Amino acid sequence: MEQAPDPPAADAVDAVDAAAVDPPAVELRDISKDFGSNRALDGVNLRIGHGEVVGLVGQNGSGKSTLVKILSGVYAPEPGGRLFVSGEEVPLPLAPGQASEIGLSFVYQNLALAPGLNVLENLTIGQRIAGGPRAWAPINWLKERRRAAAVLDRYQVQLNLDERTGDLPPVDQARLAIVRAAEDLRRYRTRSGYKHSVLVLDEPTVFLPEEDVERLFDLIRTIVAEGAAVLFISHDLVAVGSITDRIVVLRDGRVVADELAGEIGEQALVDLIVGTPVRTGGGAQADAVEAAEAARVRAAEAKLAPVISDASEGTPLPGGGNVVVEHLADGRLADLSFDIGAGEILGVAGLIGSGAEDVPYLLFGAHPALGGTLRLGDETLDIGKLSPQRSVRERIAFVPADRQVLGLSERLALWENIVMLVEDEHYRGGIFRRSELVALAREAIERFEIRPPLAHAVTATFSGGNQQKALLAKWLMARPRLLLLHEPTQGVDVGARRDIYRFVKSAAALNQTAVLWVTTDFGELAEVCDRVLVLSQGRPVTTLTGAELSDDTISAAALRQIREAR
Amino acid sequence: MSAPHGAATPVDEGRPGPGEPPSAARPSVARRLGIQRYAILIVFAALVIGFGVDIPSTFLSVGNLSNILGSQAVLFILVMAVLLPTIMGDFVDLSLGSSLGLSAMVLAVLNVQHGTNVVLACLAGVAAALVVGLVNVFFVVYFDNDPFIVTLGTMTIVQGIIYIVSGDNSVGIVSTNLSNWVFTNTFLSIPLEFYYGLAIFLVVWYVLSFTPVGQKALVIGQSREVARLTGIRVDRQRSWAFIIAAGIAGIAGIAYAATNGTVDPTAGSALILPAYAAVFLGATAIRPGRINALGALIAVYFLATGTAGFELLGAQSYYQQIFYGAALVAAITIPKVTRDRIFKRRRTA
Repeated sequence: MEQAPDPPAADAVDAVDAAAVDPPAVELRDISKDFGSNRALDGVNLRIGHGEVVGLVGQNGSGKSTLVKILSGVYAPEPGGRLFVSGEEVPLPLAPGQASEIGLSFVYQNLALAPGLNVLENLTIGQRIAGGPRAWAPINWLKERRRAAAVLDRYQVQLNLDERTGDLPPVDQARLAIVRAAEDLRRYRTRSGYKHSVLVLDEPTVFLPEEDVERLFDLIRTIVAEGAAVLFISHDLVAVGSITDRIVVLRDGRVVADELAGEIGEQALVDLIVGTPVRTGGGAQADAVEAAEAARVRAAEAKLAPVISDASEGTPLPGGGNVVVEHLADGRLADLSFDIGAGEILGVAGLIGSGAEDVPYLLFGAHPALGGTLRLGDETLDIGKLSPQRSVRERIAFVPADRQVLGLSERLALWENIVMLVEDEHYRGGIFRRSELVALAREAIERFEIRPPLAHAVTATFSGGNQQKALLAKWLMARPRLLLLHEPTQGVDVGARRDIYRFVKSAAALNQTAVLWVTTDFGELAEVCDRVLVLSQGRPVTTLTGAELSDDTISAAALRQIREAR
Repeated sequence: MSAPHGAATPVDEGRPGPGEPPSAARPSVARRLGIQRYAILIVFAALVIGFGVDIPSTFLSVGNLSNILGSQAVLFILVMAVLLPTIMGDFVDLSLGSSLGLSAMVLAVLNVQHGTNVVLACLAGVAAALVVGLVNVFFVVYFDNDPFIVTLGTMTIVQGIIYIVSGDNSVGIVSTNLSNWVFTNTFLSIPLEFYYGLAIFLVVWYVLSFTPVGQKALVIGQSREVARLTGIRVDRQRSWAFIIAAGIAGIAGIAYAATNGTVDPTAGSALILPAYAAVFLGATAIRPGRINALGALIAVYFLATGTAGFELLGAQSYYQQIFYGAALVAAITIPKVTRDRIFKRRRTA
């Protein structure tokens, strides 16, 4: 067998493949993918045997989703990568829609169900896409209904065919999407005579409560019994351990392990995912970088000082105090308490579904919380009753992740977005002091280094990084006591990212603003935060500070806790 | 390329050389906006000059000016009403036409059939319109329904009420006092109602352009979620827009009754679509892409001037509709044609 020179993968394959007589259902050989100078995948080999459940795990950015996108035909791999199904080579890249013609079916996190249609319609919609005369053929709904009921029976899923899909609980929506995909595969096997077919499940358990995950697994076992293989992609190591036969670990675009699920402990798995030597603190080089960064921050502070004091004329606003959050709860978070010191940057980390991403929305009153209190200095607010209006009055600032929908009004001029929160202060004697506001915006544009420096240009014409700086400028204008950031550098180039770190650090230092920073980019948290609170399944796991802070330690804490929580 | 003064000539923001391709520094945005802003005014001027040269004796007369300005007052007041919910992203309040009709009919029935004092009758008319606005707020804002569907419903209901109140008859003739103070009396040969419309315009324009309320309305209209997360009281401001709009439509109803003397049960329904045409046409002028009061003012009188001119040339009055519709479609399409099609073709050529 001519295997690519990747010893761990090759060993594991030999160990695993009991049914060695059959070629595997799907085999990927030597798949690489470059994005510019960045190698996302590097010579990856992956085999999925008939009826096998293979887990694919790795950190964010390890290459999992790139691999899935090559399998689904979204990306073309670098030349040299090969794909075999049932031993026959299929040329890469796959054309759009070709994946389903070679027995691959995908269920993504968003499930691709139409919430307004009922279960029957969602189940059968795949058969409606044909064009031409078939699009005009009458639909026999009675027959469709009988067939759909038989399908649900086959997979032992009880759903009311007439129920509106959006009204189903999340687990039933997931099961419906999976049944639909599995049924496509079964039809493929019958039609083509091939015995292979692979169901790819990309993070199917993220939004499910623990007790529902088991119901999903029953379904997966049924599907495997029917003859399909499954590629199961997840962060949830407990889930991966319990449902898969074999686990493949990706790190930095390479397969670093390919082991039978029963033969690898979770501790070992975490180490493989994160990379073995967990760094603590930095050497001399890191110190030098830090010193340079500190100098930049000081320079930025000097520059920002005027714009921040300009924003509020007359009496200086009281600086930030300590922020204490107690008993914060929503659907996912159960009784979360933490505090942020004045001028401190607290990171909140967690995998998708951990509840970390809810925290800023709840503290701003953008999403309703079940309860909790927020103490700002000596004021106490009921988080359950917070509204954005109230939060703005209390000088809480909120930079949401979806900048284009929630953060900036894209069709307005840049200056209009920047001064949005301080407009009322520039309305005197029945006249809106537009020129004052434009001047204020121009100062902010200069100090936040927004390029091009055109106050009157339409906001949508600026790059992501410059829009994000404008959004930050908008909120820092109001001299917040608490600054809530969700993915503040998403879709932002490296240079602007550095600038944003600088601006937030100097605002925290200058104003004594308490900062809450939520992102799934753990490296970023390690870089900017004084302290990082790690959440898992709505509960705090640990708090990391100082020398403990690194991409890997945060990752390890977020992953490891899933095991301990169960 | 055929740039006349060499390729190194800096781009003049206002008027580019004829053969200049859009440069990488995207000055084309400013350039396009520069032209588009005044496109309607330019066409407006061209119309006036054209008619003035062609039929100077009739078109350039005081009578015609008075006719153009005076005859559109009811529509213009309604346009100011339509503007308010539209600017906040509630793109359609269909019921405003019916509110106008209801106000006019309540006024006429009270004044003519019950002999109520004309001032009280006017107040009752506006009050009736305000009730329609409140009902809209209740169903659109409070229950978060689609404004198109809700106001389609309220429009139909109000129209039914108008038929009941009037017994499906035209009601007249309302107090001549009212007619005098609205329509018959003139200032500088122009009926007073033109000035009433102008006054309402000035207030609306001032609030929208020179107060934080107006700026917030703009943000609400452009991106409602951004407004909400910036702490703007979105629902409160939308509610006021529906209510004040209904009140202004009620005032338009009074002007209608006074102008026509007799109120027909179908009064407002013929006006609502032209009013929307003017608002959207106005959104292509002065501040392109934004619903704005000044643009709407220009649009109303641009359309009126065109219609009056063609009528003087002998066209039947119903050609007005074709002119309205064609101007609206042309105004939103022409900027795209020049921008996308022509520039693209030139780039690929």
